[in-house]
Amino acid sequence: MATVNLVATKEGFAAVTAAKRSTLGFFMALPPVLVLILFVGAPIFIAFIFSIGYTGGPNQIVSIIGQDIYKKDSWWGTADAYLAVFRDPRFLPDFILTIVVTFVSTFVVLLMAMGMGLYQRIRGGKIASILSMLSLVPLFVPVVIAAFAVAQFFNGVGFMRTFMSQFGIDFPIITATRNAIIIGTIWTSLPFAILMITSGLQSVPNALIETAQDAGASFMRIVRTILIPLAFVPIVIAGTFTAIGIMGSFTVPVFLGPNQPTMLGVEISNFFTAYNRPQQSIVMAFVIFAAASGIAVLYIWANIRSAKQSGRI
Amino acid sequence: MAKRDNGLNLQSSNLITRFFIGLFVAFMSVFILGPLFWLALQAFTTTWTFPNIKPDGWTLIWWRRVFETPSMVEAIRNSFITAPIVVLLSAVICLPAAYAAARYNYIGRRVFLIGMFAANSFPKLGLFASIATLFYALNLMGTMVGVIIIQLLGTIIYMTWIPAAAFAAVPKNLEEAARDAGASKFRVFRGITLRMAAPGIFVAMVMSFISAFDEAQGTYLVGAPSFFTMPTEMYALVLTYPVQIAAVFSILLAAPSVLLIGLARKQIIGGQLAEGFQIK
Repeated sequence: MATVNLVATKEGFAAVTAAKRSTLGFFMALPPVLVLILFVGAPIFIAFIFSIGYTGGPNQIVSIIGQDIYKKDSWWGTADAYLAVFRDPRFLPDFILTIVVTFVSTFVVLLMAMGMGLYQRIRGGKIASILSMLSLVPLFVPVVIAAFAVAQFFNGVGFMRTFMSQFGIDFPIITATRNAIIIGTIWTSLPFAILMITSGLQSVPNALIETAQDAGASFMRIVRTILIPLAFVPIVIAGTFTAIGIMGSFTVPVFLGPNQPTMLGVEISNFFTAYNRPQQSIVMAFVIFAAASGIAVLYIWANIRSAKQSGRI
Repeated sequence: MAKRDNGLNLQSSNLITRFFIGLFVAFMSVFILGPLFWLALQAFTTTWTFPNIKPDGWTLIWWRRVFETPSMVEAIRNSFITAPIVVLLSAVICLPAAYAAARYNYIGRRVFLIGMFAANSFPKLGLFASIATLFYALNLMGTMVGVIIIQLLGTIIYMTWIPAAAFAAVPKNLEEAARDAGASKFRVFRGITLRMAAPGIFVAMVMSFISAFDEAQGTYLVGAPSFFTMPTEMYALVLTYPVQIAAVFSILLAAPSVLLIGLARKQIIGGQLAEGFQIK
C-alpha cells in the first residue's frame, strides 16, 4: 500500500523536471545538428566512400564526368586513388609546403598574439589599446580583399618596391613565393588568435600576479608559471583554430603563392575543376582532414583537461 | 585598471624598451594597415607608373564604372539579400540550441559541441566539392537556396557557441528570483535571460553576417555560372578588370564589415567572442 508518489517528493520532482528538460534540451539542440549532418556529415561520408572506390548512387554523375576514377576491387573498396595521389610527383612538394606554411604561420601568429596579449595584460594603457584596435582590423576584411591587398602591396609595382626605390633600394618581389603565403596567412589569422589569447590572459586574477611579484618572481617567471598555465586553454584554442584554418586555406595561396608547388587547398580545387580528377581531389581533402584531426585532438584534450580541473566533469 | 598601474611595474620604462615598443607599433601599423591603404588609394587614381611615389592623376571614374556595370550591381544586390537571410535563418536554427547547450544537460550535449568543431576541421574546399555532388542531385547548383545553405554552414559555429556562452553567463538565481516574484516563464526569459545575453547574441549575429557576406569559395563553387555575390565577383574582377576597379569593389565590400566592427567592437574586445570558443 505504501506507494510513494515519485513526483510528490522533492527529489522525485527534481528528477522528473531534469529528465523533461534534458529531452527538451535535446530537441532544441537538434536543428543545427541536423543541418550539419545533412550538409556536412553526409557529403563527407559520401565523399569518403567515393575516395575508396564506391562510384554508384550519389557518386554516379561525378564518376561519369571525372577522369581517372578508381573503382572498388575488393569487398571494402580500393586504395588506388590514395596511392595515385601519393605517387603523383606534385603531391609531396605540395604537402611539404602546406605543412611548412601551417607551422611557420601558426608559430609566428601565436608569438605575436602572446606578445601583444602580455603587453596588454601587464602594461595596459594607450599603446596597448591602439595595438588591440589595429590587430582587430583583419577580422573585418574579407579574405579575398586581404589576399588581393597584400599581393598589391608586395608585387612588382607595389608599395614596398615603390617606397624602397625612393632610396635606391631594389626591394625583392615576394609575391608568388612561399613567404608571401606566410605573410598573407599571418595577416588574416592574427585577430582571432589575439582575441582568444588576450581574453585568456585578462581573466588571470591580478592578485595572483601581484602576490608572485611581492614574493620576488621575475617577469619571465610570472609569464611562465602563472600566465601561460592559466591561459593555457585559450592559447591552445587559438593555435588549433589558426593551424586548421591555414592548412585548408585556398584564397591566400591562390593570390599570393607560386603556381607550383602550391598548398593542398589550392590543389583540391585544381584537381576538381581544372584537371577534372574529382576522386583525387577528394583524397587530398581527406589527407588535410587527417592532419587537421591530429590538431583537433589537441583542442579537445585541452578543453576536457580544463573541464576536469574546474570540476565540471 | 588603476590598481594595475602600480601593481605590475616591471622596470621597462627605459628608453631602449620604449624604442622597441615604438618600433613594434610602427611595424604592426604598416603590416596591417599598409596593404589596405595602398589598395584603397588605387581606387582614386588614373594610372600609376612605377617607381613614382605619386600616381599619375586622381579620378573618380572607376566608381562610376562599377555602378554602370550590371553584373557588379547585381552582385552587390545579391550579397545584401543573401547575407541577412542567412543571419536570420541561422538565428532561428541555432539560438534555441545555444540556450539548450547553456541550460540543459541533455544526452550527447558534449558530442554535439565537439561534432560542430569536427565539422569545422574538414578543409572547406574539400567539403564544398563534396557538397557540390549532393547539390547536383538536389538541383541546387547555381541557385540562391544553394548559396544560402553554403553560407549558413559557416555561421553555425558562431551562432551556437557564442550565444551559448552568453546564456550560460546569465546568473540562474536572478531568473529564480524573478520567478519567485511572480514573473511568468516567458517574461523571465525575455526580460532577464535574453536581455543579459543580448551582447553575446549581437556579436554572434555580426560574426555570422560577416562570415556569410565574405564567403567566397563555396559560393563560387555552388553559385558560379549564374549566381554571383560580391566576393565571388571579386575573383573574376581581379583577373579581367584593371586594378582600380577591384580597388573600388574592395572598398564597397569592406564597408559593411567596417561599419559592424564599430558597432560590436566593445563586445568583441570584451571577450564575448573568445568565451564562445571554449567547450563547457
